[in-house]
Amino acid sequence: MPSASDHIVGTGVARTRDRGVVRIIKGVVLLAGAALLVSWPSLAANPYLVSAGVVVLNYAVFASSWNIMGGLTGYISLGHAAYFGLGAYGTALLIQNFDIPSFGAWFLAGLLTLVIAIPVGWAALRVRGASFVIVTIALVLVLALIFQSLRGITGGSDGLIVPRPFPDLLRPEHHATFYYIYAGLLAVVLAVWFVIARSRFGAGLKAIREDEDKAESLGIPTTRYKGIAHALSAYFVALGGGLYALWFGDLDPIMQFSVLLSAEVVLMALLGGVRFLLGPLVGAIIVGTALEYFVLNFGETQLHLVATGILLAVVVLFLPDGVLAGLSELVARFRPQATSIREMTAEELQNQRVSEVRPGSGVDADPTSSERSEQELAPVERSPS
Amino acid sequence: MVSGALIFQSLILGLMLGGLYALLASGLTMYFGIMRVVMLAHSAAIILSAYIAWRFATLTGLDPMLSLLGTVPVFFLMGFLTQRLLVSRLRPATMSMMSVLLTFAIALIIEGLLGYFFTGTQRRINLPYGTASVNVLGASLPVVQIISFLLATVSMAALYVVLKKTRFGWALRATIQHKEAAQLVGINTERLSGYGFGLGLATAAVGGAALSLQVTIYPSLHWHWIGPLMAIIVVGGLGSIPGAAIAALVLGTMRVMLEIPFGPTWAQTIFFVALFVTLMVRPQGFFGGRLAQRF
Repeated sequence: MPSASDHIVGTGVARTRDRGVVRIIKGVVLLAGAALLVSWPSLAANPYLVSAGVVVLNYAVFASSWNIMGGLTGYISLGHAAYFGLGAYGTALLIQNFDIPSFGAWFLAGLLTLVIAIPVGWAALRVRGASFVIVTIALVLVLALIFQSLRGITGGSDGLIVPRPFPDLLRPEHHATFYYIYAGLLAVVLAVWFVIARSRFGAGLKAIREDEDKAESLGIPTTRYKGIAHALSAYFVALGGGLYALWFGDLDPIMQFSVLLSAEVVLMALLGGVRFLLGPLVGAIIVGTALEYFVLNFGETQLHLVATGILLAVVVLFLPDGVLAGLSELVARFRPQATSIREMTAEELQNQRVSEVRPGSGVDADPTSSERSEQELAPVERSPS
Repeated sequence: MVSGALIFQSLILGLMLGGLYALLASGLTMYFGIMRVVMLAHSAAIILSAYIAWRFATLTGLDPMLSLLGTVPVFFLMGFLTQRLLVSRLRPATMSMMSVLLTFAIALIIEGLLGYFFTGTQRRINLPYGTASVNVLGASLPVVQIISFLLATVSMAALYVVLKKTRFGWALRATIQHKEAAQLVGINTERLSGYGFGLGLATAAVGGAALSLQVTIYPSLHWHWIGPLMAIIVVGGLGSIPGAAIAALVLGTMRVMLEIPFGPTWAQTIFFVALFVTLMVRPQGFFGGRLAQRF
């Protein structure tokens, strides 16, 4: 499997200067993107666009939380809609039945989902690959069945109305408020991902992704690590779901516990690139906007399913590392290439090697080292994989 | 108090439903055995075949079973092409995860197209023998269920004969058991994997026609089938056709029996309960062989 570090090829002064330029461009793009995201509610021409922004941010929170598990461990779960639904229904039911203030219920529902997610994760993560995916799908399907059947509590397929947290806000202000709450949650999720990805724990998770057996034999407590990653990502998905309940105000088991929702989110994460911090966000913006467009223009027909399906197939077949990986490859292409023809002769290189080695110990200066460096003289050009 | 006759009738009906499940799950097992692929589009293909049977019956007025003459070869070809053109392109390292997404995409496309062309309206074939039933030892069995059970039995038997008695079947099983060894003895495993997929999808064609006789169909129906079928192949042990068949019969019977005290919706959860129990107790499945160990 290629890893993200594969794309960085070659060394040299020209490259470092070049990389600085790229970094500046990246920074500018990021700042502009963040500024656009933050000011969207005031830029948007009408309340609908703000609400569409909330939908996209909801997807972004979901996909980024999913990515704590999916991106770092490589376990592709189609079951996170279950946690989304549990967070949403948990929030709604706690408000209705126990008179807990909206955001208290929201927080509590997240914790309750976490309590459920830990044993579920323990069971599901006993198996790998195909079986794992089957279990996660089954989780969503069985919860959909249960929440439809428990009519007395959940309202069944009639749906469940969630009391509004800010009853005196007008609709546009309601959307704008939730836009910022979602943006805050997204920032938290991204920060968590960022910290984990750079921690020892994250390194363990990535080792599981690359080769679980080897990771285990290296002493990484794979079961515990996977469990923690799963629980964390379930927790944040549940918080996203709870916010959705408070914002949208109307829940339906078919819509919340939907494998389709899971799959759309997985599509977003994959399309953006699961190895990148902002991959799921980029994917959510692309796919979320496209989904809104389809709902607006082809509302009643099932064409959005066809479009989602085709996009998913294309991403899986041709772009499994996401658009961000594709972009960085593209950038690499316009940088000076690491040539296969060395500007030094083999002899010069040999001399340089020897002079580098000599000041140190004599270990490398034995006759075998010349053999080894001859092997290393093979062209270093690596095709982008 | 539930009468003995009702329990007996449920038992027979359960076994019949189990027979249909067994046929449908055998296709899934086939894909998994050959390529380690979880084919989520299997049940969508079943519904597609059911729609074709319904359309055929309403257009021509002939028996929907006759549509099998067309759908079985077409589905075989579709399965072959799906494997050769799509699934085989995936990277081996991430095959089992990515194939789920790819086949999910296919399922979505099928569901969307069905919804687009035939709308979400519920459809049902009107058969002259649609409501008829036969009385066997006090149990009243609908004729349509008997037909679909017979169809499932015949197809399973045919599948068994093909796999056990023909050179093609030997080669296919060799591919399933050990791909490299099969290549060494000169089997073209690439093409054979395609044929295996075709065979799997052909069982979906048969299952769909059988299904169209007894249930009302609509585009999103496949969600109700994929869960139970997935549970069956995991409980039976991934990759084992006899295991899937046994699990299908047991779970199908349990489902129908549980409908008496709990009603249909809760009875449906037996599949998921069985799935979770299997993972807790025996993650490799109850009847699985060597193949199921790692997956």
